[in-house]
Amino acid sequence: MNSNPTSLEVHVAGIRMKNPVMTASGTFGYGSEYADFIDLNQLGAIVVKGITSVPWSGNPMPRITETPPGMLNAIGLQNVGVDGFIEKKLPYLRNFDVPVIVNICGERLEEYLEVTEKLDAADGVAAIELNISCPNLHCGGMSFGVDPELTYELVNSVREKTALPLLVKLSPNVTDITVIARAAEAAGTDGLSVINTLLGMAIDIKTRRPMLANITGGLSGPAIKPVALRLVWQVYNAVNIPIIGMGGIMTGDDAIAFFIAGASAVAVGTANFVNPRAPLDVIDGVHTYLKQYKLDSIKELVGSLQT
Amino acid sequence: MQTSTAAFPKKFDLLTPIISNEQVAQDHYLLRCACPEIARGALPGQFIHVLISQAGVLQAASLLLRRPFTIFTVEGEQISMLYQIIGEGTEVLSHLKPGDPLRVLGPLGNTFHIPLDLHPAIIVGGGAGIASLMLLAIALRKSGVRTLGLVASMNRARLLSVAELKRIGVEMHIATDDGSVGHHGFVTEILTQILEQPHAHELSQPMIYACGPDGMLRAVTKIAQDYRIPTQLAMENRMGCAMGVCLGCVCKVRMPDGGFEYQRVCTEGPVFNAAEIVW
Repeated sequence: MNSNPTSLEVHVAGIRMKNPVMTASGTFGYGSEYADFIDLNQLGAIVVKGITSVPWSGNPMPRITETPPGMLNAIGLQNVGVDGFIEKKLPYLRNFDVPVIVNICGERLEEYLEVTEKLDAADGVAAIELNISCPNLHCGGMSFGVDPELTYELVNSVREKTALPLLVKLSPNVTDITVIARAAEAAGTDGLSVINTLLGMAIDIKTRRPMLANITGGLSGPAIKPVALRLVWQVYNAVNIPIIGMGGIMTGDDAIAFFIAGASAVAVGTANFVNPRAPLDVIDGVHTYLKQYKLDSIKELVGSLQT
Repeated sequence: MQTSTAAFPKKFDLLTPIISNEQVAQDHYLLRCACPEIARGALPGQFIHVLISQAGVLQAASLLLRRPFTIFTVEGEQISMLYQIIGEGTEVLSHLKPGDPLRVLGPLGNTFHIPLDLHPAIIVGGGAGIASLMLLAIALRKSGVRTLGLVASMNRARLLSVAELKRIGVEMHIATDDGSVGHHGFVTEILTQILEQPHAHELSQPMIYACGPDGMLRAVTKIAQDYRIPTQLAMENRMGCAMGVCLGCVCKVRMPDGGFEYQRVCTEGPVFNAAEIVW
């Protein structure tokens, strides 16, 4: 062991983390589900399942299907609502020394603001991630994230309600992601989460029916990693705020590619479904890479793409 | 299904070599592997989530997600799973050889409720659905509970577990779609015949336990309601994580207030009260 081990500590968008590896929203529940496998204190941050102003029941079944190599989901943001989250889920998370980032969503601007105010007043929330990119809602969600003016208005309004660090999770389902990224930056977000799922579909050719009851769903997993890397790199070149990179990260090497493309931290998502220790394996892999290339910190990698 | 207050066993993710993987009926295989930590805690109805890849490693593969399989039997440190080839994952699985590594996560999910005065237990298994009822049948017979076993399959070549169930003293009734063995028709027709004669079959405190295709489960539920027999269903669904976080495996469950809620087959289930399921 190195007597002065490489530190993985990072300070991103006002969030201090032991390492640059988070869990992606919707893939890690509210943390307790993985207690048999992961000491939550070892994570860089936990991003919890998307929260809305009132509990949502979610979409009809079937909700998920595998597509090589990845998966489509149309869960429809089934969640306990902000009051349920603060009463039933947040107290457990306060037992750990790990930043809790709460992903929030809504159909209307007022809902985002209500959830923000309640989280701002709660104890134990490190940051808010604005989900303006959920592809499985018929209104709200992604409809904000595909329009720069709506993005600006939403982010600006939420910004006025809280001093907590703010991340905006961007949709890949746009013609030019940099336009939305710049709108969010101008409205005062501290960082950007890049990317949410890609809108897709799958068909059962025997029955000619869609594999999902919602017909379309969000594609995630290794299948989207090249798209996510490209979008992180484009956003990195367009804004001056930090990026949390995500999309198909399964290993430490995957994470390293996101740092090189411009991400200051990463989130592990679909990998959690396959490997309950995935975030820890990614942290180990990042550490190994830094040692192998004799790097003192992640900072030396961020945006270091050689072109 | 309300889970009991007793804690469910701790979950483990084990990399273990396959001990055997043999065809036991047309399109059906029985796979055994050593999983001492899972075997120790496994309860009837619980399942494992299995990563199917040649190397058993946690890298990206074309088969990205794990597949859920019920725990068929527990023998010492070994567990077994009885599975039907229904897609790419189970096709690849059927070609794995003894010694090939498998990643097994479990035990997962809740368990069946066995009332103290149960008499008799009526287990109804359609196709590979009988696999979810084997640990239960073994537990029932160990406790001396009289158990009727109603098993359905397409034909004789696909019939599963009849000899094993008979050996532990389950009173067997068989139905096949083509009449090649047992009753020619639906297993639910046998169920109705039995429920029609409660005295002849000594149905003092009966309970039905069923697992199989949706159509069969709906029919069993209807019959159970007509004859007012409490019924538990082991539900199946496509699963993502099996850890309760992806919310992909839900089924629609009736709430006391008349509404419904989507509950996770992997966590609130797989065992549900039949009367609560909204089809």
